[in-house]
Amino acid sequence: MIGHIIRKEILENLLSWRFVLSLLLVICLFAASGFLFVSTYRRQSHDYWSETNKNLAGLSEQSKQLYKLAFYKQTVWRKPKPLTFCAGGFERSLPDWFHFDLFVQSFPDVRSRSNFLLPRIVDMDWVFIVSLILSFVALLLAYDSVCGEKEDGTLCMMLASSTPRYAVLLGKYVGAMITIGIPLLTGISVGIIIVVTSNVIVLTAHDWLCVSSIVLFSFLYVSVFVFLGIFVSTRVSHSATSMVVLLFVWVGLVILIPSLGRLTSRVFSGRPGQLTLAKKLLDVDDNIIADLRAGRFNREAEAHPQANSPIKKHLRDTLWFNTWSDAKNRTIQEHHRQMISQALAGRRFACISPVIPFQRASEIIAGTGIERVMNLRDQIKRYQAGLKDYILSKDKEDPNSLHLLVANVWRIEKWNAISKEAVRFDSVPKFQERNLALGQSLKLAIWDIGLLILFNLVFFTAAFVSFLRYDVR
Amino acid sequence: MTFKFALGTALCVVLVVVLVPVLLEDYQQRLRDYSSNVTANEEDLRKVKVYMNIAPTVFRPPTILSVFSEGYETRLANAAKIEFESIPEVSLTSSETNPYLSIFPVLDVTLIFKIVLGILALLIAYDVVSGEAQRGTLRLTLSNAIARPHVLLGKLLSGLLTLLLPITITFVVGLLILGLSPAVSLALADWTRIGLMYVTSVIFISAMFSLGLLVSTMARKSATCLILALLCWIVYAVVIPSASVSFATNARILEPREKVAGQLAALEQTRESEKKKWHADFGYTLGALGHNRDAFGREYVMWLTKSTAEHTQKRYAFYRSLSMAYADRLLEVERSHLFNVLKQKSLADALARISPLSLYENVMSSLSGTDLIATRSFMERARAYRNEVIEYIRSKTDDFRLPSYFTTMTMDEMAECQQAREEISRLIKLKDAADKSAGEKLSSAIERRNKLLRDAGDKPSVVDLEGFPTFTYEPPGVVKSLKYVAPDLVLLLLSNSLFLTLSFVTFLRYDVR
Repeated sequence: MIGHIIRKEILENLLSWRFVLSLLLVICLFAASGFLFVSTYRRQSHDYWSETNKNLAGLSEQSKQLYKLAFYKQTVWRKPKPLTFCAGGFERSLPDWFHFDLFVQSFPDVRSRSNFLLPRIVDMDWVFIVSLILSFVALLLAYDSVCGEKEDGTLCMMLASSTPRYAVLLGKYVGAMITIGIPLLTGISVGIIIVVTSNVIVLTAHDWLCVSSIVLFSFLYVSVFVFLGIFVSTRVSHSATSMVVLLFVWVGLVILIPSLGRLTSRVFSGRPGQLTLAKKLLDVDDNIIADLRAGRFNREAEAHPQANSPIKKHLRDTLWFNTWSDAKNRTIQEHHRQMISQALAGRRFACISPVIPFQRASEIIAGTGIERVMNLRDQIKRYQAGLKDYILSKDKEDPNSLHLLVANVWRIEKWNAISKEAVRFDSVPKFQERNLALGQSLKLAIWDIGLLILFNLVFFTAAFVSFLRYDVR
Repeated sequence: MTFKFALGTALCVVLVVVLVPVLLEDYQQRLRDYSSNVTANEEDLRKVKVYMNIAPTVFRPPTILSVFSEGYETRLANAAKIEFESIPEVSLTSSETNPYLSIFPVLDVTLIFKIVLGILALLIAYDVVSGEAQRGTLRLTLSNAIARPHVLLGKLLSGLLTLLLPITITFVVGLLILGLSPAVSLALADWTRIGLMYVTSVIFISAMFSLGLLVSTMARKSATCLILALLCWIVYAVVIPSASVSFATNARILEPREKVAGQLAALEQTRESEKKKWHADFGYTLGALGHNRDAFGREYVMWLTKSTAEHTQKRYAFYRSLSMAYADRLLEVERSHLFNVLKQKSLADALARISPLSLYENVMSSLSGTDLIATRSFMERARAYRNEVIEYIRSKTDDFRLPSYFTTMTMDEMAECQQAREEISRLIKLKDAADKSAGEKLSSAIERRNKLLRDAGDKPSVVDLEGFPTFTYEPPGVVKSLKYVAPDLVLLLLSNSLFLTLSFVTFLRYDVR
């Protein structure tokens, strides 16, 4: 019996205007997003490689003298990810320029070809199309599933036969999901075909797995709205009313709540700004100078365990330069952490809308977005530590050096504190961004997937209960 | 008094009641930030010891109308540094206080109007004709001796009058909340702007209503009309704005910001190398002068000897003229980039103008004084202020020639300092020549010199802030904003009349059977 209902639902949907129109719209959007991705990606990777090569050339230039490696300001660009066409993660307006030497990691900046004057609208990626357009289409398909039949009078007849109510409900749900699967899958195939045939990226097996899990999330997400549609349609008796209610609910969930995230994070967690950072850094300088005048580093140098070795006379300067750069670095990291946590707090709040878990899960799987920026900075930190170990171990081989790492290039040069010998460029560690394995990213996304399932369950139960009590007369 | 009307209105009012206080709180925070920035700047200004270090920052006060439309208010820098080395211009680097907040879309009162009231207008209009046709009442109406245009006109007017109610209620509620808050005082100009915003909202809502009317005359079944209207809406509200941005960024490709930064850095490097070249020609004044930090993170000459005074004065004069010359060149580079960015933006804007929602947003942002024009006029004012400050420094330091331009010391003190140093070096020579009394004299001479240096460090500022120009910023007036929004407003009216004309035409040919 369920099979009959499903078939009937699908046929009814397929023959309707709304289906044809939304199919056209969705396919056009996916195609456009594919083309846009191809041209953007090509340009981005061109930029990325030219800048990365520039950085490596600089690094190889510095490797002629070991100590210079420590002071070379390296620039790491955010590599364009192939899966950006699934989930762009707002990367266009997130920092993409990371600048650091051995001692300090600067505050990341937004460079590349970003334009701050453009309205801040998300990229046309799959997540955008699914979260805004397909959720809307889901409502268009489901809004009259129960009350529409009641208005036509067919519901009475259907329930008059021995079909249990849950079968009717499930049939309607499955029918709607299959119908909506058609534009979703066609659109995705069109998008993927455009991307793959353009030859700008080669999708690995891992990428295909990621893509399919994002498709899976899309179904989970859309199904929330189908359940919602059925639920509202069982609560009212006219399909027009059902549409009105659903429309306003949709506006609230999909448009208003995500925007509320910015406001809440701005209002409730203070507003650290760029000016604050500049001021904090000036304070750091002032404090260090005050400490220096008060003789703090003289005392520390005397108390130092190595106070009697040949490096004795340099100890004071070493201590204060290193303390200074440490303090600077700490201030920047602390400021950065504040900003990130402000944004994350806003997003946690916005999780009451299913859009956000869907967005976040897809971003994590695609390896884009704000989590990736955080991850990238952590990786740079580890790389800094690795480079430091490398420099210190290479330095040990040079008998002429003092083996004293000072955060000041003039001092090191003058004192011969770190070896000035050349090193082989091959042996110098280079920064390489590592991607998370699918298992790891799934683990990170588990909360969001859970939330999506929870939304599904809640709306399913609501729809089920209210349909069981539905008055068909 | 249908269900949808009640629900839409209630939703609007609830949203305004919830959001306006939050937006207001945000505004007050920005206002507090602004005033704390201004006081910090003034404190620093009082700490300045010499004229060349006067490098204040000017800030743009937040506007209360940003509650209605946020525009660029929080996105572009609202501060400009006034210094020799640079000229203020709209900054294109990440100037939002927190770049990570860009993962959220913007929320303001305009968004509520644009989305909720826009949908409400569509919902009310979609079955005006088709609904009556379905129920059969349209035939009855038309069987009377009423011209078809009159029927439609009547429906339009009644619909608009109905919609005026939620618009007015929302405006009144929003304004009440604003008015009841003690921190807000609205000037006459603000009221004019709010009035204009109201008119714009009415025009926009009537455009959406006409669109609904047009859709309603296009199909026989009201359900079809509803779907059509909603698809139109989603294309206008979601697809067109994002597609136009995506298209513009791909059609007019910007230079990478890194390249511009590279050009700027190269210019700064040549500036520094010119300084080095100058020093190669005229030598360094090593040893005979000491620096200290005063304010704005800058250093001044704490002490120097008379013999080096002329050289130092020349050096700072050269630095200043060099910095000012390079400031012009840096601005040129920034501007050429800004020009491209603006071209990309205007392309995106032009494309987005197909949608009445974008038109409405543009007009609202201009009327709130949060658009790009306002930011640019602020920067223009800051540039004028920079000239005033430079002129002030010039007048106070006799065309940058007085020592007070770079040091707190007077000529006499410099002479004393020199004497002390010469005395010490003379005594050292004597001591080396084993003169016994020289040792004692030396320590007292060193003591004297150290006292001189300490005194120099403690010397008060030589800057006379009397006559220092104060920064005042007048946001562009209502007339100027109006001039700027006129094309968008006209387009909004045009789209209004286009939808109406089309709906009249289709209604004349509507088959009522």
